[in-house]
Amino acid sequence: MSMIRNFSLGKGLCALTLVMLLNACSGTQHPENLYSALGGEAGIATITDYFIVEIANDERVIAYFEDTNVERFRYFFIEHVCMLSDGPCEYTGDSLVDTHVGMNVTGAAFNAIVEDLMAAMNKADIAIGTQNRLLARMAELREQVIQL
Amino acid sequence: MINNMRRNLSLLVLLTGLVLPWVYAHADGRIKGTGGVSSIGGAGGGGLIPWATLTSLASEEQRGFTAFATYTDLDDFTLDVVGGGVNFSDRLELSYARQSFTIKANDAEIEQDKYALKVRLAGNLLYGKLPQVAFGLERSHLRDPATARAVGAKDDDGTDLYISAARAWIDGLFHRTSMLNVNLRYSQANQFGLLGHGGDDQDTRVQVEVAAAMFLTRSIAIGAEYRQKPDNLNALREGGAADVFVAWFPNKHVSVTGAYVMLGEIAGARPQNGFYLSIQGAL
Ligand code: HEM
Repeated sequence: MSMIRNFSLGKGLCALTLVMLLNACSGTQHPENLYSALGGEAGIATITDYFIVEIANDERVIAYFEDTNVERFRYFFIEHVCMLSDGPCEYTGDSLVDTHVGMNVTGAAFNAIVEDLMAAMNKADIAIGTQNRLLARMAELREQVIQL
Repeated sequence: MINNMRRNLSLLVLLTGLVLPWVYAHADGRIKGTGGVSSIGGAGGGGLIPWATLTSLASEEQRGFTAFATYTDLDDFTLDVVGGGVNFSDRLELSYARQSFTIKANDAEIEQDKYALKVRLAGNLLYGKLPQVAFGLERSHLRDPATARAVGAKDDDGTDLYISAARAWIDGLFHRTSMLNVNLRYSQANQFGLLGHGGDDQDTRVQVEVAAAMFLTRSIAIGAEYRQKPDNLNALREGGAADVFVAWFPNKHVSVTGAYVMLGEIAGARPQNGFYLSIQGAL
């Protein structure tokens, strides 16, 4: 009996250690600056162009962008990704909250946008590990975008 | 085996036909793969244990449906499962599974029904600070209780309760999206309930279950699971079960999972290892 209890405790501790390991790995292992891994300014522009095409063809989210000025979106999205990836940019667009307030972006729409960005990065030949580094940073901004 | 497969397939078609019109939805609101697959008990999860994730890719404004068939070929037994689940708003999951366990030596069969529900209590697998936490209940009903009674089980039927927590890190190990799931289960089941519940040598009732997975690509995940099991019968020894798996998600509606399973001693036979193949459809 008690051996079995200890065993479960051991498993629990083991799981906890794994969680902490995972956290550590996701937080610290950044050998290359993310901005360069994305291909710098040109790479981010290419990704954004593919991204805009993906959005335009995505009936799950296109309604949100009905009245969007695409040139403006392109400019500020590039700037935003540049900043997020530790590139040499300052983001000068509107705050994410101000931009997305009133849109009522659903959880499903957010995920659709994430998938569109994944597709865009695939087309731009961005390695999956680099994609995940950017996506993880974007995921942290979710609360500033959805259901406002 | 062939008969089983044929019957299971008809059951699957029947289930799908009954449930589909009722829930029809195009549930694709979550990222591919984050709905996991169907466990042998029917609940969404890995293969061996349920996870805190709810079945299908339904998000909060959607309803989703999954149907699955699983074949497990062990040294001395086979376990065939067919079932399905419904996900309401990524909040409530209801599932059903029919398990057919066959003893190869004499073709004897034990059939069991699993009815389960799971509620997401808090959190989100991918986003925010909290892990996704769910509460689950699994009710087991033995259609063939003779063996369970013969080996000294106290009850034919029983109820398992569990709390489950799951977290995925988008930028996890090796910059691959990685997931960890831990369950605490209250159960008196002998061999998943196939040998009834409780017994003359009642073991601890709380068990730990763990799963870890990693997406190598957006479509292929690998992982491992461990499930502690109670050991309630004097006459028979029961140990933990484990598996290593590869799951393939060609799109958001189909998954194919292959696994090597190690189920430990079953009903006095040597430790049972074997292969597991599961196919799931999701809408
Ligand atoms: C973390 C995820 C997201 C980030 C980092 C982000 C970032 C941005 C940025 C930088 C802009 C330009 C702001 C400006 O013009 O000043 C923008 C605009 C916009 N975003 Fe997002 N966004 C995200 C998610 C979403 C989602 C999920 C949707 C909807 C499905 C969405 C819909 C829009 C729309 C429609 C505009 C154009 C607004 C307008 O027409 O004025 N965004 N976003």
